[in-house]
Amino acid sequence: MSAIELRNINKVYGNSFHALRDLSFDIRDGEFMVFVGPSGCGKSTALRMIAGLESITSGELRIGGRLVNDVDPKDRDIAMVFQSYALYPHKTVRENIAFPLQMAGLPKTEIANRVDEAARTLELTTLLDHRPALLSGGQRQRVAMGRAIVRKPAAFLMDEPLSNLDAKLRVQMRAEIASLQRKLNVTTIYVTHDQVEAMTMGDRVVVMKGGVLQQVDTPQNLYNRPDNVFVAAFIGSPSMNLYEAVLNGRTLTLGSNSFEIPDRVFEYRPSLNGASNRQVIIGIRPEHMNDAAIRPSSAEISAPVTLVEALGSESMVHLNIDASWVDAGDPDAVADIGDEKAAVARFSPKSTARAGDIARVAVDAEELHFFEPDTRTSIW
Amino acid sequence: MRRARRFNINGILVNAAALVLVLSYALPYVYLLMTSIKPAADVQQIPPSFLPAVVSLENFREVLQSSALPKAFASSLAVAVLTTVLSLAVAVPAAYVATQYRRRITTLFLLFALVTRMVPSVSLGVPLFQLLKSLGLLDTIPGLVLAHTSAAVPLALLLMSAFFEGVPKELEEAARMDGCTRFQAFRKIILPVMIGGIAVTALFTFITSWNEFLYALLLTSEATKTAPIVIAEYNSVYGLAWGAMTAAAVLYSLPVIVVTLALQKQIVGGLTFGAVKG
Repeated sequence: MSAIELRNINKVYGNSFHALRDLSFDIRDGEFMVFVGPSGCGKSTALRMIAGLESITSGELRIGGRLVNDVDPKDRDIAMVFQSYALYPHKTVRENIAFPLQMAGLPKTEIANRVDEAARTLELTTLLDHRPALLSGGQRQRVAMGRAIVRKPAAFLMDEPLSNLDAKLRVQMRAEIASLQRKLNVTTIYVTHDQVEAMTMGDRVVVMKGGVLQQVDTPQNLYNRPDNVFVAAFIGSPSMNLYEAVLNGRTLTLGSNSFEIPDRVFEYRPSLNGASNRQVIIGIRPEHMNDAAIRPSSAEISAPVTLVEALGSESMVHLNIDASWVDAGDPDAVADIGDEKAAVARFSPKSTARAGDIARVAVDAEELHFFEPDTRTSIW
Repeated sequence: MRRARRFNINGILVNAAALVLVLSYALPYVYLLMTSIKPAADVQQIPPSFLPAVVSLENFREVLQSSALPKAFASSLAVAVLTTVLSLAVAVPAAYVATQYRRRITTLFLLFALVTRMVPSVSLGVPLFQLLKSLGLLDTIPGLVLAHTSAAVPLALLLMSAFFEGVPKELEEAARMDGCTRFQAFRKIILPVMIGGIAVTALFTFITSWNEFLYALLLTSEATKTAPIVIAEYNSVYGLAWGAMTAAAVLYSLPVIVVTLALQKQIVGGLTFGAVKG
């Protein structure tokens, strides 16, 4: 049993900075759980508290049913892979992997067998006598993984383990880590700020912001049924487009554009029924906006095109929609886009839309998301 | 072609400048060496000559036959080794805690170590004399070791702090996750990683104690007189015995040179530690 339970976990630093607020959720035995969020959201702090490297100000942390708030890291039966790998530079790959077993006092033959087994699993056999300085980034990453798996711990903790690798290697290692976790079936917590990693690797994902839990759910549910504006915008790339709009009966007014919302939407969002001049925040994913000239729809808006990024398989079309743009509250996204408040639509590569055109955009209105403007939570 | 030639000229200029610098550093020592192998009668000739007319080892024979120098060498060695061991035992863990567990008090602690380096030794001589006298440690090796350690610890602390700054915190954390207590992580992982830095600090601490003159002069008399004092006191019936003095000085400089050469690899590794991350 290696389920991990967090109950009302808080972290307040000496300078009164409240890094985590009332964090409560469960990680099931054998589950691959990803913590994701922008910089400073508290995901690494939460991981370090589970590791025992950071003290818990209040709340309860249980691993395998045992309260571990005040248990030393070495006595928690968990292994951790660090962002910098933290390999011991004076030890060979073999000695690095063997170290946790030596500390556990295992017999030499058992250590040798387990190191060989881990090396075979991670294809490190030929590198066992090398020092870490001689290894490439990907190889070092594997050694760090080897040091973690060799112990057969109750849980793996991984703190952005792929962030130091180049893009191509990252994709490869992403798949390898996910398949290794499924093979070993060990409870794993994986911290990342990359929502693609979160979506592709995790059985479930914890989305955090400003030390507060936003949503815990499967990747598909985070995408389809985000609990609030932040999760809606954070999950998915490019981000969901968020605008203030007015709903009157079945008619949605978005700036100078209006279109009818299909009946099905009111079936799964019954509280929208009977709306009269109701202010809402609407979310439209880029993939739900197409070139009306290619794929016409009953819900169409027109907007000037400010930029077209042709990617070959699709074109990212930036549109200047004349409605109030809504900031989702992602500090990293604001830093990335600066003053750019354009909507992004994912058009077919056959689209002839060019910067400066007024594009007719077909909106897949069944896929619209609705949020309360004051609480920013989803309207169901 | 032209570019290669310009590069060569630059190379020659850089090498020439380096040579001038090295010669200017080495000149006093070379002069010491030359003087030590001159016959006693030639040492004080006027005008003085740089190179000896005749090479003679009589100065070395004289100092090695005297009873004072070997005993002083033994005192110096004992004091320097014990000072190095004691200073490292205090400074290495202290510097690690001060850098890795940074708090306001640890910053103040390092600042205080820096301030103590600014106080002239001569100002501390009298208080140290009183202190050791009241402890009954005047003219004893432990007494001089304590005095030298008080001077060497701040230096060792500052050097080791600089080295520890380059050690990622994750190294200790990884060791703790791998089953170590904090102390085991320090002993089994951090110390071996820092061996280059420790070697550099040990060498500087050893040299500080080995070359120290003022405290040795104030705090020792006959029983534990160290070599620098004995060398400075070389007299002959005609005044200072320059020949014997230079021979003793050459002999006294040899251990430091040998140790430096032996630890060359670690010293260079230690001095560039943190500059290149693995």
